Amino acid sequence: MSVSGWLALYAWLAPAVAFVLLSVVYGLRRSGRPAAWVSIALSAYALAAAVGAWWVARAEVSNRLLWDWIPMEAGPLASVGVLADADSTLMLILVALISFLVQLYSVGYLADETPASLGRYFAYQSLFAFSMMGLVLAPNFVQLFIFWELVGLCSYLLIGYWYQKPEAARAAVKAFWITKAGDVGLLIGIVLLWRRAGTFDFAELFQLVQTGALPLGGPGLVPLGIITFCIYLGAVGKSAQFPLHVWLPDAMEGPTPVSALIHAATMVTAGVYLLFRTSWLFALTPGVLELVGWVGAFTALLAATLACVQSDIKRVLAYSTVSQLGYMMAAIGAGFAVAGFHHLLTHGVFKALLFLGAGAVIHAVGSNDIFTMGGLWRKMPQTFIVFLVGTLSLAGIPAFGGFFSKEQILGAVFEGGLTAPLAMLVLTAFLTAFYMFRVVFIAFFGAAAPAAHGGGHGHEDGHAHDAPLVMAIPLWVLALLALAVGVMIIPHPAAEVESPHWLAFLAIGVALAGIGLAWLTYGAKVVDAERLSSAFGPIRAAAERRYWLDDLFGGIYRGVILALSRLVGWTDRYLVDGVVNLFSAWTLMAGDRLRRIQSGRPQDYIYGVALGVLLLMFFSLSRWPR
Amino acid sequence: MSLEPITFWGLAALLLASALAVVLTKNLFHSVLYLALSLTATAGIFLSLDAEFLAAVQLLLYAGGVVTIVVFAIVVTERLVGDRITQTSRQLVNGFVVAGALLVAVLIFIRSGPLPAARPGVTGDLTAAIGLMLLTRYVLPFELLAVLFVAALLGAIYFARPDE
Amino acid sequence: MGLQAYLTLAAVLFAIGLFGVVTRRNAIGILLGIELMLNAVNINLVAFARFWGDTAGMIFTLFTISITVAEVALGLALVILIFRVKRTVIADHLDILRG
Repeated sequence: MSVSGWLALYAWLAPAVAFVLLSVVYGLRRSGRPAAWVSIALSAYALAAAVGAWWVARAEVSNRLLWDWIPMEAGPLASVGVLADADSTLMLILVALISFLVQLYSVGYLADETPASLGRYFAYQSLFAFSMMGLVLAPNFVQLFIFWELVGLCSYLLIGYWYQKPEAARAAVKAFWITKAGDVGLLIGIVLLWRRAGTFDFAELFQLVQTGALPLGGPGLVPLGIITFCIYLGAVGKSAQFPLHVWLPDAMEGPTPVSALIHAATMVTAGVYLLFRTSWLFALTPGVLELVGWVGAFTALLAATLACVQSDIKRVLAYSTVSQLGYMMAAIGAGFAVAGFHHLLTHGVFKALLFLGAGAVIHAVGSNDIFTMGGLWRKMPQTFIVFLVGTLSLAGIPAFGGFFSKEQILGAVFEGGLTAPLAMLVLTAFLTAFYMFRVVFIAFFGAAAPAAHGGGHGHEDGHAHDAPLVMAIPLWVLALLALAVGVMIIPHPAAEVESPHWLAFLAIGVALAGIGLAWLTYGAKVVDAERLSSAFGPIRAAAERRYWLDDLFGGIYRGVILALSRLVGWTDRYLVDGVVNLFSAWTLMAGDRLRRIQSGRPQDYIYGVALGVLLLMFFSLSRWPR
Repeated sequence: MSLEPITFWGLAALLLASALAVVLTKNLFHSVLYLALSLTATAGIFLSLDAEFLAAVQLLLYAGGVVTIVVFAIVVTERLVGDRITQTSRQLVNGFVVAGALLVAVLIFIRSGPLPAARPGVTGDLTAAIGLMLLTRYVLPFELLAVLFVAALLGAIYFARPDE
Repeated sequence: MGLQAYLTLAAVLFAIGLFGVVTRRNAIGILLGIELMLNAVNINLVAFARFWGDTAGMIFTLFTISITVAEVALGLALVILIFRVKRTVIADHLDILRG
């Protein structure tokens, strides 16, 4: 009885039903609010089903529901279905929960949108939930890839939701391109793996690996390291590892709830989830894993430095997400994928909380710039509290959500023997606390900045206030969840790694040091911010230009890809079309010339007759039997 | 009855010469007269083939009737008085080539077929035979020919109506 | 003279007639060419009739002559009618059917 499988299926299909309803039923989408409530209701149902699926799956062995898709003689080439075990249902809960909370929140955040746009938004949200769940529940690589791509499409649609804004449209295209670069690697990896193993299915591949039937390399065989590396490339794109991380900050052009959902909790974690799911495969290629670890740690540090110089609150959170993703990848690279997955879950909760809190602030103040905020702890106390909870979780302070999982990661990296990455991660922890509390001190404390832009939502006098109920409920839910996770009311999975105690103290100490430095600089203003940043002069300059990576990608895009497009366009216009146009021109010319046969003069027609007779006579002469 | 080659060649030369004159003369009226001459020569050829009846019909209808009609047509369509009735030809070379090629083809056909060289003897009165055949075996085309003449007559009357 | 001589004569006459048809500009001149061609056909028919001993050829010639007379009459009537309308008998000018 695969009850968990069926429950997971219902959870998965609920948002699909919402999407179909919103797309097909005429007028529903355009009505705005009713469409929103349809989507929210179905996502609530999905959440309930997901929780139920997880509850059942804890007791059962992993079970699958499969339907044949592409039939072949020796068994189907590809099948679709549901793989509902403890891990996938847990991820399912995360997706369903965040999706539900974000949709609820969006009703308040996007209250100013036209009904048609609002309906479009919720259609996209439902489609995204459906796609992400399909990815999470995928029993084989084919379904995984299909929904991987579908998730990428949804992110494009949602980032570019305000498509009238050129920056948003560009950001959406950029996200699409960059993740596509990674996806190519993933596809190549999948196909190569299939050629080696003959199957796409996870369970079957697991069996092959267990029985040692998948050799590392050999004559005529593609080395397994190449395969896992190609699969890793997909994760590099989706989970914003260096150097394909450049799309994530720009993706902040989308609405804040979208950022919370896609770029904090769910889509970007797809890469981590993939590596977690196939960790037994990567275990065969420790070289690639080491690369994963190094790149993860480096990404974490790089993103942390970039977050320190941002003045846009969402950008700070975006770089923070990249940094935390680097953490997860580092743990996986060290060989302890469970630690990475653990951090994925907790990070999903508190990063979504941070984004939604930032959204409340943006909604109230009307601007993303932290230097236009100030003294918000008085005006928006609720928001301040939940934001603080999230920040403390992110900084890794005990009793808050992220502490235990972060400690697990550090322990994992230590156990895995990657010392330089460990150093990078510790430094990153310091920077994380620093830049997050920089934001807290600048935005929430300090003197209130003059309300220059006329304030936020509906308040021309610039008086910021706490969020409305629809937005506040998700905030409180997430905050409580973060606390509950931190205080271990919600039990953690068994610790994979016993990290040494000194590491825990080091982590806490480093976090406190970061908070302290931020307070000194931005709170008490003891340390001058300018002198502090100029102390890191060249790094800061580089960070402000995002290490020229965007320029590099832009240069490649414009130089190479557009040039190639122009070349192809020229070929199409002048060679391909040219040939066809040439033929048509010849036809026209021939027609024009042949027209003159019809001169209207009977004598010319007699000519024709005479010629015809001649031809016939000569023809029959040649065949005359002598 | 044997035919002397000289008669044949003489008639042939006359026929061909007048035919050439028909197609080459600039003056249309002269052309018609040369046509009359060639039609008469044709009647002579018929005679050399022992077809007296046909020779007579040729002279009556062709050399007499058709030429008359053509003359009338010329009169009606050209301003006869004072003007030289001229006509020029066009694209002589093309026509020559086409006609020549056709001639060559036909000649090749003629040479390649098995044709009798000697004519059989004359049996009986040819004219009476023709008349008999016309009214027994070929009576249907004969009657249809009458219908055709009626139609032609009606058509000619219709064409000759004065403009309304 | 053998049959071949008569046939050759007819062929040459036919070619001359064809030459006249395609080169003459006057419509009546074209009709004269047609006359020559028909004449050649008649010579052919009579020659064959004589040499095979079959009178059917001669009867056919009779028919041809009769029909030719009717055709010439009506053809010339048409030429006259065209002349009345277009004031020309030059065949080159009668190209209303030009494509």
